[in-house]
Amino acid sequence: MNAIETKNLTKKFKDKIAVNAINLNIKQGELFALLGTNGAGKTTTIKMLSGLILPTSGSIKIDNMDMKKDVFKIKEILNVSPQETAIAQNLTVKENLEFMAGVYEIKDKEQKINELIKLFKLDEVLNKKAKTLSGGTMRKVSIAISLINDPKILFLDEPTLGLDVIARKELWKVINSLKGKITIILTTHYMEEAESLSDRIGIMANGNLVDIGTSKELIKKTKTKNFEDAFISIATGGKLYEND
Amino acid sequence: MRMINFAKRNFKELIRDPLSLVFEIILPLFLLFIFQQFDIPADNYKLENFTPSIILFGFSFITLFSATLISKDRTSSFLIRLGTSPMKSSDFILGYILSLLPIVLIQNILFFLVAIMMGLEFSINILLTILVSMVISILFISLGILIGSLVSEKGTGGLGSIIVQLVCFTSGMYFPKEVMGDIFIVICKILPFEACLNIIQGTLHNDYSNLSLTHIIVFLIYFITILLLSIIVFKKRMVSDNK
Ligand SMILES: Nc1ncnc2c1ncn2[C@@H]1O[C@H](COP(=O)(O)OP(=O)(O)O)[C@@H](O)[C@H]1O
Ligand SMILES: [Mg+2]
Repeated sequence: MNAIETKNLTKKFKDKIAVNAINLNIKQGELFALLGTNGAGKTTTIKMLSGLILPTSGSIKIDNMDMKKDVFKIKEILNVSPQETAIAQNLTVKENLEFMAGVYEIKDKEQKINELIKLFKLDEVLNKKAKTLSGGTMRKVSIAISLINDPKILFLDEPTLGLDVIARKELWKVINSLKGKITIILTTHYMEEAESLSDRIGIMANGNLVDIGTSKELIKKTKTKNFEDAFISIATGGKLYEND
Repeated sequence: MRMINFAKRNFKELIRDPLSLVFEIILPLFLLFIFQQFDIPADNYKLENFTPSIILFGFSFITLFSATLISKDRTSSFLIRLGTSPMKSSDFILGYILSLLPIVLIQNILFFLVAIMMGLEFSINILLTILVSMVISILFISLGILIGSLVSEKGTGGLGSIIVQLVCFTSGMYFPKEVMGDIFIVICKILPFEACLNIIQGTLHNDYSNLSLTHIIVFLIYFITILLLSIIVFKKRMVSDNK
C-alpha cells in the first residue's frame, strides 16, 4: 500500500515553477530520499505534502486520504522537522516536548517524552532553554519533537544540515532505527546520506523529479561508477561533462 | 485543549522576557508612584483618575509586546511547524489572546494595590473596573496581533511605540486635550484611547458623566473592527508566509 501518492503535483510562485508536475508513489514503511541541489524544489514539495501550502495544481493522497478533503485528519498522522530548526526559544527542552505533546494531544505524554529523551540522549539539556543550545542540539530536539505523535509519515527536511560528522552519524543511527516502522521522506543534498540511508532515491532538479530508483539502479542506469557520478549525470541531464 | 496549551506556551514566552515585564509592569508602577510625589494641582493626576490612566498606559505595552511575540513566531520556523500540526486558526488567535489576559490581570491587581497603598479608597468598583479593563485590553491585544501579523519584528518596535505615544497624548491621561486646540480634540475623538480611558475612569468612579454615546460607539467600532481585522490578517499571513 502507498503512504503517499501525488499526481502532477505542481507549485508556482508567480512565474517561477518551483515544483513541476511531480508523480510520486511512496510505499508504507519506505525511507525515501529526495535528493537535489539548492533550489531544486525539495522543501516546496515537503511543504505541499505536509499540508502547509496548497499546490497550484495536482493532487496529493496521504494514507489514502485526499489532502484537499481531509487535511486535518492527515495532519494528525504526520509530522515534519522543517529545514530551519523550529522550537520555542524561551522554553526549555522539556517544555518544548510537553508543548508539542499538547499540540498533538498525546495521551501517554510522560511516557512518550521519556522515550524521546532516551532515544536522542537529551537528559543533560532537558532544563536548558532552547535559545542557549548549540545548533546541533537544537536540531536534535527539533527532530525529537517531530516524533512526538508517533507519526505514520515523517518528513525530515535536510535533517543533518549544519551538523558535525559525529552528530550526523548519530542522527543516521536514530533514523536507521526508525526504518521500516514508519514512512520517512528525507530531503538532502548530501549524496552519501541519500545513498546509505534510503530505500529509494528521487532526484530533483529545477522543480522536476528527474529520476527515481535505488542507488544501485541509478548507477546502473547511468552507466557510472559510483552514486555521486550517477547523481551528477541525472541532475544535469548528462550535460555537465559534455560542456566541460 | 490545543488553544490552552498554546496560550500556556505564549504566556511563558512573554513573562520570560524581562524587558516586557519592565515596560508592562515596572514602568507604569513607577509613573503611578512618582506622579503622586508632586502635588500637581490638575485633576488628571488625582489617584482616582491617574490609576486608570496607568492601566491604559500599561495596555499600550501589551500591544507592543504581543506584536513582537507574534512577529517573532512568524519569522522563526516555529509557526511553520505548527502549521503542519492539527492546530486551527482559532487555536492560534485565541491562544494568543488568552495568554495575555493573565498579564493584564496581574497589571491591574498590582496597579490597584499600589494605588490603594498610596491612598486610593477601596471599593467594589475596583473589581468592576478590573473586569471592564480586561475587556478593553482585548482591543489592545488584537491590535498587537494585527501589527505583529503585518510587520517584521523590527517594525513592531516602531509601530508599538507609536501606539504608546498615541495613548499618552490622545487619551487625556497627562493633560486635557483642550490645551492643544480644535484639530487635536477631533483626533482624540476619532481615536479609541480617550474613549477607553473614560470608560475605565467612569467605571471606577461609578460616574459616567464624562462618557458620551460617541465614546461608546467609537470604542465598539474599533473593538470589533480591530478584532476582525486581526483574525483575517493573521489567517492570511499564516498561509502567505508559507506560500
Ligand atoms: N515563498 C517563495 N516565493 C518565491 N519563490 C520561492 C518560494 N519558496 C521557494 N521558492 C523558489 O522555489 C525554488 C525551490 O525552492 P525550495 O523548494 O526551497 O528548494 P530546495 O529545498 O530544494 O533547496 C527555488 O528557486 C526558490 O527560490
Ligand atoms: Mg530546502
